[in-house]
Amino acid sequence: MILKGQKRKLPSEDVEVPDQSSPLWESQRQFVFSVSLNKYQRSQELPEPSLRRSVLIANTLRQISLEACRSPPLDQQASEPSCSSTLSPQNNAANRSCCSGEPSVPMTEDEDWGLMATDSDFSLSAAISSILTALDSTVDGSPQAAPRTPLRSLENLSGPSEGGVAMEAGRTSYMDDVTMEDLFQDIDSSQLEKDMGVLGLRSGAGGCSAGNDVIRYLPPLTPPSSHPFSFSAEPLQHCSCTAAAVPQVLVFLTRCYPGTFEPRG
Amino acid sequence: MAGKIVFEGRKGIHLLFLVCVCVMWCFSQVKGAIDEDVAEADIISTVEFNYSGELLATGDKGGRVVIFQHEQESKNRPHLRGEYNVYSTFQSHEPEFDYLKSLEIEEKINKIRWLPQQNAAHFLLSTNDKTIKLWKISERDKRAEGYNLKDEDGRLRDPFRITSLRVPVLMPMDLMVEASPRRIFANAHTYHINSISVNSDHETYLSADDLRINLWHLEITDRSFNIVDIKPANMEELTEVITAAECHPHQCNVFVYSSSKGTIRLCDMRAAALCDRHSKFFEEPEDPSSRSFFSEIISSISDVKFSHSGRYMMTRDYLSVKVWDLNMENRPVETYQVHEYLRSKLCSLYENDCIFDKFECCWNGSDSAIMTGSYNNFFRMFDRNTRRDITLEASRESSKPRATLKPRKVSTGGKRKKDEISVDSLDFNKKILHTAWHPKENVIAVAATNNLYIFQDKIN
Repeated sequence: MILKGQKRKLPSEDVEVPDQSSPLWESQRQFVFSVSLNKYQRSQELPEPSLRRSVLIANTLRQISLEACRSPPLDQQASEPSCSSTLSPQNNAANRSCCSGEPSVPMTEDEDWGLMATDSDFSLSAAISSILTALDSTVDGSPQAAPRTPLRSLENLSGPSEGGVAMEAGRTSYMDDVTMEDLFQDIDSSQLEKDMGVLGLRSGAGGCSAGNDVIRYLPPLTPPSSHPFSFSAEPLQHCSCTAAAVPQVLVFLTRCYPGTFEPRG
Repeated sequence: MAGKIVFEGRKGIHLLFLVCVCVMWCFSQVKGAIDEDVAEADIISTVEFNYSGELLATGDKGGRVVIFQHEQESKNRPHLRGEYNVYSTFQSHEPEFDYLKSLEIEEKINKIRWLPQQNAAHFLLSTNDKTIKLWKISERDKRAEGYNLKDEDGRLRDPFRITSLRVPVLMPMDLMVEASPRRIFANAHTYHINSISVNSDHETYLSADDLRINLWHLEITDRSFNIVDIKPANMEELTEVITAAECHPHQCNVFVYSSSKGTIRLCDMRAAALCDRHSKFFEEPEDPSSRSFFSEIISSISDVKFSHSGRYMMTRDYLSVKVWDLNMENRPVETYQVHEYLRSKLCSLYENDCIFDKFECCWNGSDSAIMTGSYNNFFRMFDRNTRRDITLEASRESSKPRATLKPRKVSTGGKRKKDEISVDSLDFNKKILHTAWHPKENVIAVAATNNLYIFQDKIN
C-alpha cells in the first residue's frame, strides 16, 4: 500500500477483533490512541486546524478512553484508574465510580502503558476540553470565561518519560497555592516573542487581541531544549522560582480536578 | 437495450455485458498538464455542469475558475459529440490574511454553483473558506465604432477637430468572454464554508460552514440570515459538525444538512426562523458487528445531494453511498459499497489521513444512476435499476480518443486474476473526490488531481 507518513506494523491489522478483553484489541486500542493523540497535537500546531478533523479525532480519543474504562484490566497492577470523565457532567460520577483507585505501580516496562494510560486518560478529558475551547477562541475570537491553554505538553505524557511520572507525584502542595495570575507574573517577554513566532502568532498584528491569544496559547516556557514545547524534570526542582518553569498543563489539571493529586506519602 | 453484446476480439469471442444505463463509456478529452510534478495550485477542487450542460466549471486550489463550453457537434462527424473547450478563465479568490486572528485564508475554491440562466449572461457562485462571490460571465462580440469624442484608440479627440456628429455603429469583433464579480458575500462565516446551494426560488441561496448555515438573498450582500446554528454554548461539548447542506430542488422552503456523525436533518424554513429543530432526522442504526474504533469517522457524511426529482437524496460516507427516500427516516432505501475492501485497512488509512478524505457523489440526469470517486483514480458508477456497478479509471494510459474504458477490478481475495489490481497496490495519493454528470446526456467530468477527464457514451 502506498501510504503517506510512517509505516507502522500493526499485528494482524486485517482481522476485526471485537473482543475487548483480548490483548490484540488492547494493543490496537493503544496504537489508535497514540496515533490519535499525535495527530491531534500536530493539528493543533497548525494556525487553523480543521474543525471537522479535530472533532472526529477528539471523539475517537474519547471513545477509546471510555472503552478502556469499560474493558477489564490487563493485570491487577496496571488497572486504569480515574478514567477520564466525559465532558458532560452527568457522566462524571458514573465514570469515576466505575474505576478503581490510583495505582501504585512500579515503573516496569510492561506496566508503563498502564500508567501512561493513566496519565493520558486522566488528562484526556482536560485535553479535549481545552482543545475545543482553544479552537473556539481561535476561530470565534470571543473571549472565554475561563481562558485555558491547549495542552501542548501533553505529548510528552504519551511516551514513558521519567519526567511524566515523577512530576505527577511531586506536584501537590505547590499547586494548591498557585493561581493562574501568579503563574503569569514572571513571563519572560523575549521568550514570549520567540514562542509566538513558533505558534504562528504575530505579536505586532492585532494589538490587544493578539495579546489575549498569547495568554491562551502560552506554551510552557522552559529553558531551551530540543523541542520547543517539551518540559523536563529539571524545572520541578526549582518550582519555587519563576512561573515560566511551571507547565501549564498541571495548573489546568489542578483547577479542573481538585484533590486528584494525592499527597506524596 | 439491456443485455449482452458478442463481438470478436483477438483472442476469440468475448461476451461483454452492458452495464450502467446500457452505456459504454469512452474517453473524450483530458484537460490539464501532464507533468509528474503537480503544482498545488492546479489541483482541481470542484467541478460543476450548469443547468443545460453547455458549460462546465472547475475551481482549483489556486483560486482560479476555468469554464469550458460545449462546442456544437460538427456536421462532418455527427457520431461525435462536440468537445468542451475553454470558454473563460478568471481568478475568483485571492489568498487573504485575517489580521485579527493572524490566519491566512486559503484561496482554494471549495464549491461552484451555477444560477439558472435568465438572460444572455451566465452567473455562478464560487466560494472559498470565508467569502462567496457571484460572478457574471458575459460575451461580447460587438464593438461600437465611430465615437464622436474619442477615436478608435480610445484617445480623446481634439474638440476643435470635431466638425460633425455621427451615430456610432456596432461592428462585429472577436468573441470576448468577460467575467466580472457582481456581488461579494463576506464576513458571515466564522468557520470554513463547506457548501453553497442555490434555492429553487432563484433569489436566495444558502451557505454552510462547520457549525452554521446562513441564508442569503442574491441581491443583498451586507446581510444574511442564520438559519442553523449548532455551536454549543460550551465548546467542550462539541461533538458534531455540519459537513454538507443542500436546498431542495423544488421546494424552496426545504433544505437538508449532513453531519460528521452520519446523520441528515431535513429542515423546513416555514416552521421557524431558526431551523435548529429538524423536521426529519435521517440516521441508519449502526451495525454492531462492524463496529470499530473508526466507526464514527467512516460514518461522517462528506456529501449530500438531492435527486433531480426531489424524492430522494444521496449521501456519501467513507465506504459507501446511500440513497434515502425522504419519506423514510430510519434507514436508506439503497446502499452501495464503493470500496468495501478498505474496511480492513482503516487503521492505516487513519494513520495516513486518507480516512478524512471527502468524496463527492452525483446523480445522472434521470436519477437512474449515481457516481462517486475512489482511490487509484478509480471512480464507480451504480445503476439503480439493474443494480449493476462498474469501476473505471481516469488515466492517461486509457486516454486515446474514443477509446472505450475498460472496467477495473480490485482483487480482495488471495488470488489475483489478471488485470485485477490488489488492494495493497492502490495509489492513495490518486483520489477522485470531485465528479459531475451532465444534466441531460451521458457525459461525465472527473477531476483527477490536476487533470479534468471528460468521458462520454459511445454513440453508434
